[in-house]
Amino acid sequence: MMMTMKKYMNMLLLPAVVAVSSCGLDNYDAPESKLLGRVVYQGEPVGVRGTGEAVQLQLYQDGYELRDPIPVYVGQDGTFEAKLFDGAYKLVTRDNNGPWVNDRDTTVVNVNGTANVDIEVTPFYTVSNVQLALSGSSADASFQVNEIAGGRDIDYVMILVGKTSFVDDVSYTARMDIDDATAGSTVTGSIDLANNTDFQSGGSLYARVGVRSVGKDQAIYSQVVKLR
Amino acid sequence: MKKSSISIVKVLVLAVGIACFSGCSNFLEQEPDTILPEEQIFEDEVLIRSVLANFYGRLTNVPNTDPVITWGQHIASSYQYTILDEAGRSEGGPDVMQNYANDLWRVYDYELIRNMNQFLEGVRATTALDEESKQLYEGEVRFLRAWVYFNMARGMGGMPIVGDEVFDYQLGDDVTALQYPRSTEAGIYDYIIAECEAVSTMLSDETNTHSARANKWTALMLKARAAVYAGSLANYNNKMSSPIRTPGGEVGIPADLAAGYYEQALAAAKDVIDNSPYELQLKKPDELERNFYEAVSVKDGNTEVIWARDYIYPGTGQQVNFTTINIPGSHAEDIDRAYAGPILNLVEDFEYKDNRNGDIRIRDNQGAYVFYDDPLDAFANKDARLGATVILPNADFKGTPVELQAGQKVWDNGSWRTVVGQPGESQAGRLLTSDNGPTRSNDQYINKTGFFFRKFLDEAAGASTRGRNSEMWFPRFRYAEAVLIAAEAAMELGQQPAAVSYINQVRERAGIQPLTSITLDDIVQERRVEFAFEDHRYWDLKRFRLAHTVWNGVVNSPTAQQYALFPYLVVAPGTPNDGKYVFDRLVFSGSQHPRNFELRNYYNFIDLDWRNSNPKIVLNPFQ
Repeated sequence: MMMTMKKYMNMLLLPAVVAVSSCGLDNYDAPESKLLGRVVYQGEPVGVRGTGEAVQLQLYQDGYELRDPIPVYVGQDGTFEAKLFDGAYKLVTRDNNGPWVNDRDTTVVNVNGTANVDIEVTPFYTVSNVQLALSGSSADASFQVNEIAGGRDIDYVMILVGKTSFVDDVSYTARMDIDDATAGSTVTGSIDLANNTDFQSGGSLYARVGVRSVGKDQAIYSQVVKLR
Repeated sequence: MKKSSISIVKVLVLAVGIACFSGCSNFLEQEPDTILPEEQIFEDEVLIRSVLANFYGRLTNVPNTDPVITWGQHIASSYQYTILDEAGRSEGGPDVMQNYANDLWRVYDYELIRNMNQFLEGVRATTALDEESKQLYEGEVRFLRAWVYFNMARGMGGMPIVGDEVFDYQLGDDVTALQYPRSTEAGIYDYIIAECEAVSTMLSDETNTHSARANKWTALMLKARAAVYAGSLANYNNKMSSPIRTPGGEVGIPADLAAGYYEQALAAAKDVIDNSPYELQLKKPDELERNFYEAVSVKDGNTEVIWARDYIYPGTGQQVNFTTINIPGSHAEDIDRAYAGPILNLVEDFEYKDNRNGDIRIRDNQGAYVFYDDPLDAFANKDARLGATVILPNADFKGTPVELQAGQKVWDNGSWRTVVGQPGESQAGRLLTSDNGPTRSNDQYINKTGFFFRKFLDEAAGASTRGRNSEMWFPRFRYAEAVLIAAEAAMELGQQPAAVSYINQVRERAGIQPLTSITLDDIVQERRVEFAFEDHRYWDLKRFRLAHTVWNGVVNSPTAQQYALFPYLVVAPGTPNDGKYVFDRLVFSGSQHPRNFELRNYYNFIDLDWRNSNPKIVLNPFQ
């Protein structure tokens, strides 16, 4: 028994030796440079769904044989971040993805150490004057919907309450959809949370509102507000 | 010991080395004895047939994928049934699936198409076959090739059409000549329709054993299906508020082509209805439920199924485990059981004989429970297809009832208290929870939905054992589809009387009331219940552009969330309801997220590796 064990121990040495003695020529160091950015409209970051890799940008780098984009995931506050090698990159939005007018113009980014970039988009709608508060057992929302790009109706607006700081049309504990909202007017709504287990448990609650325009794959959201 | 073994190795190495270098014999130039070169295959009809059989076997899974990508729903992969709104997975803890994968059921198999083209080249040149057999083989393989294209097209839209070309590459050749661009979406459907039409005159018009091989009617069915898919894509995509298209038409069929496709679909379906040897099987008009089960799930003497993936015992890999893993625990012959079960969403979509709203009556108008003497009574007067598709609580399977009881409802000081036990547990001499379940636990082998599959569940002895598995077939085309394609195409062409008479044939066999006029909703509904678990639902909702509204991702949405129906025994001693049964409708515990079909899911993403090797391939929308 011991003999066989020893034999196998010797075999284990082989990969260890290979690992230790492998040459460094074909290995890159991990990328250390950083690309930081925001998706903005008129200087304000655009709130999106931050879960499920829902909103993505694509980074291309010329001069290589293969042309696979590097996906860059946009967070719910409209910011994104990528660790890259120094070099020149092309940044585009993904086709038909996001609550804005589809525009696949390229933004050239030179990364050297750290680079900051704002991607300017034209949303179909925005939300402003967002008031979100908890009164008693109901979450009250009041906000204004503004039409920006035009050409698309409002599908619905939604008020979302979540138990974590990630709140969107897929991650929520309570949701209210309002179908008859019109642009330019103030929308109000309140969600009764009396029977909601996450409300009853007394833990943290977060909320945001969103507008979905007809035929787009994503809604645009306000920033997340902590209710309690 | 060690030393001597090393020296033996050394001697061996030396000997082999000497043999290699001093070889003046030509032993490296031996003819292989395990590989048959192409010339030899096409000299012999037996070998030709075995190559053909190989093609049939390659129509289920996409090769070299891990996890395996299947060609849609199929009884060989029960999990695929649980990701839509037909069934739920009962095995172990909850499934966390929420979104649909970008490569879901994505078929891309140009290796198979190349092998088929090699076959066509070989068969056309061979002297081993007479002209008539050559026609039959060529027709059969061209049909299978059209089927591969169809499966690619419904997932991805237009893809490169390579015709009969067998590509050959020598080092240094110009590869750009081998790079074909994607066809348009209309173009690929046109190609499939034209191929099916051409081969329908080459193929036999007779039936074959268990409908395992393609014949003339199979080709016409694919023609009808491809045409009605293309017609509905042209129609409903352009009715979206922002139609899904690529600039080159690889995705998106112009709206003005719709009528032409519907006419082709209607003509092909009518040909099958009027002239084929198949029928809407009605051998047991007095037992419509049994009749429908036999029409779909019993091979022998079947007159309805036109083409199926057949399975047979014995033979390595030629059986299917659907029955083994899904059989009710009370009827299991091996350790496996209750992997998945149909969900309430599907059950309630079956109409009542006299009421088109199929909701199960669980509560009365005042919100109080409705009491049933037997759990099965809750499903009385339903569409006969329900009992033939789903094993309902206390329904019969192989002669004995399938008990499904979640617990007891105990009348306690003016309110109902729910008592649930371990599977098989009793209390005070009365059953608490059945061995079969349903439960909301994470147990393996216990039902969680309240229903079991009946369609495709094999009744043969031994069919649910691991060692044998089942010979159940999986129908790909059956006569009822011709009837419903005719109904749909006629409806879209404004021919209401014809459309109504077609759809009513199917409804009459199910024992439900005839309709006097129909809309798209009726077509969607009829296809959902007629073809449950037959790989139609997903593709239907896609081509009607309804998937993103039905599977909208909203928690507790009646269509996107999966629901279970739990039967309880009433314990209220001294009242008339004691010993009766009531039901609770619950969110299915095995998959807590609602189904979320997003706009990007209407077309699979193109694998970027394909584009790297063929830059002419353009990407799909949202990618």
